[in-house]
Amino acid sequence: MVQFWIVVCRHTSWPLHALVDEYGFERPENFNYETYEEFMSEYLKVLAKRAKKWSDIIGEGRSVRRNLTVKRYVRKGIPGVHRCSVWLSVSGAEELKNKSPNLYQQLLNDQHDPQVAENIRIDLPRTFPDNIFFNNTDLHQRQLYNILLAFAHQNQEVGYCQGLNYIAGLLLLVTKNEENAFWLLKVLIENILPEYYTPTMKGLLIDIDVLVELVKLKMPDVFQHVENLGLPWPVITTKWFICLFAEVLPTETTLRIWDCLFYEGSKIVFRVALTLIKRNKQNLLACQDFTDLAECFKEITKDSIVVKCHEFMESIFKVPGSLSNSTILKLRQKVEQTHKEQKLAKTSR
Amino acid sequence: MASRGTAQRPNGTQGKICQFKLVLLGESAVGKSSLVLRFVKGQFHEYQESTIGAAFLTQTVCLEETTVKFEIWDTAGQERYHSLAPMYYRGAQAAIVVYDITNQDTFTRATTWVKELQRQASPSIVIALAGNKADLGNKRVVEYEEAQAYAEENGLLFMETSAKTAMNVNDIFLAIAKKLPKNEQTGNAGTSGQGRRLVESEGQKPTSGNCCK
Ligand SMILES: Nc1nc2c(ncn2[C@@H]2O[C@H](COP(=O)(O)OP(=O)(O)O)[C@@H](O)[C@H]2O)c(=O)[nH]1
Ligand SMILES: [Mg+2]
Repeated sequence: MVQFWIVVCRHTSWPLHALVDEYGFERPENFNYETYEEFMSEYLKVLAKRAKKWSDIIGEGRSVRRNLTVKRYVRKGIPGVHRCSVWLSVSGAEELKNKSPNLYQQLLNDQHDPQVAENIRIDLPRTFPDNIFFNNTDLHQRQLYNILLAFAHQNQEVGYCQGLNYIAGLLLLVTKNEENAFWLLKVLIENILPEYYTPTMKGLLIDIDVLVELVKLKMPDVFQHVENLGLPWPVITTKWFICLFAEVLPTETTLRIWDCLFYEGSKIVFRVALTLIKRNKQNLLACQDFTDLAECFKEITKDSIVVKCHEFMESIFKVPGSLSNSTILKLRQKVEQTHKEQKLAKTSR
Repeated sequence: MASRGTAQRPNGTQGKICQFKLVLLGESAVGKSSLVLRFVKGQFHEYQESTIGAAFLTQTVCLEETTVKFEIWDTAGQERYHSLAPMYYRGAQAAIVVYDITNQDTFTRATTWVKELQRQASPSIVIALAGNKADLGNKRVVEYEEAQAYAEENGLLFMETSAKTAMNVNDIFLAIAKKLPKNEQTGNAGTSGQGRRLVESEGQKPTSGNCCK
């Protein structure tokens, strides 16, 4: 019951008209407070109900296990107060952390590659400069530096890739604990996602084309239209994959997506992308030229469909239709093969 | 394609509209996004977010005879995003290659971008070299003369710019606009597979703060 009230208070006490959201992000310029208020009046009830359910399965200091109930709960949203602990347990990060309890500190104490450190340092003030937590104190920037440096040091193939700053930054805002943020970053990059951040960005290029295949399959008219106007898919979707919708979608929506990502894996990214496209299909098809289309793809990440995060998250499991892990796996193999052949053809020319 | 259409110019005469694709390239943190922000919105942020993938904006410039609409592609600077770059400069009629006058490595990187464009981009591409952060003259390591000589040798437009003070920002875009071919015969190169459509910019007013006043 105690937890229940904390959650409700955390949300109800946050002024709906505030210029920043509860994670410290500035609202966009043309933010529609009216729609938001309308949505929140409903969503607060949902949150209260969910908080009650969660406090029933999470007792004092107990962590959740992976099972169908928890999976269902996760899809309906993890309350802010439980997010860190649930992410840690369902993703396997907690287990890794328990196996190497001193690792994080050791990584920080090691000698680091000065070039990597410098690249990270350049991006610190450039990470969420509009977020009140990142621009008001050095604390968050220093913690972010530690997380990214420790990660780069223990995974030298990836090292530091631009985009990780946003992921680690948001993890830090949610967990409020740099060590937990590090472990979550580590499982996300090394276990949950394919090779998006390596120097060749091979996994990213594959997954972008897997998405294209899925669009072709599920929405051939949209696929054809985008082809006709000549807008390359990576232009639209690189940031979606690299930032996992941080800096793309509203914060609460992104966190709801990450709830599922930590439980269900990288397939969720495709579900979100396909839903965004499908629910805005008419607008996309109405675009007359390349410029309109590029603008429209920007618009669809800000409109009321995505602000209403609860409904949006329900829709990602319905709108794109069936999408099994084995479908994704097969498509990844197929695309990888095509990429290999293209590369061969290029070098032999 | 220098798409042509006609539109009411602010002074009421009929003018030609040309649309061009322009790409910004250069090392991370040299000020590419800041130059675009200054040019398109007249703003400067001390802490500009790092760009992931690419960002897209448009801005219009008026010349005497024509209105030039720039479709601007601002790219990510980190080396590993390099494999995506051809997608952005493919079919571009103009490029601004940016370096930071306080950092020698960024100048070296700029010259390799120029080489890549000369080899891989459309042969008629107009390339401008921008030595940015010119307001930081006391930390300068790349000499004006060195960059200018290099630009001349390679047939590039060259200016030192400051996104912070706005120095030469509109000017470099304007210089590019002037140099771009405005008739269909010459403005056509390189965009054939792009399927670009004619853009009728009715009702779209060029943003003030530029040359259109
Ligand atoms: N002093 C000064 N700083 C600049 C200038 N242009 C950009 N910056 C700063 O340099 C950093 C990187 O700029 P950004 O536009 O993000 O670079 P990009 O990575 O090339 O897009 C930001 O903190 C900017 O505020 C300039 O002309 N003068
Ligand atoms: Mg940038």
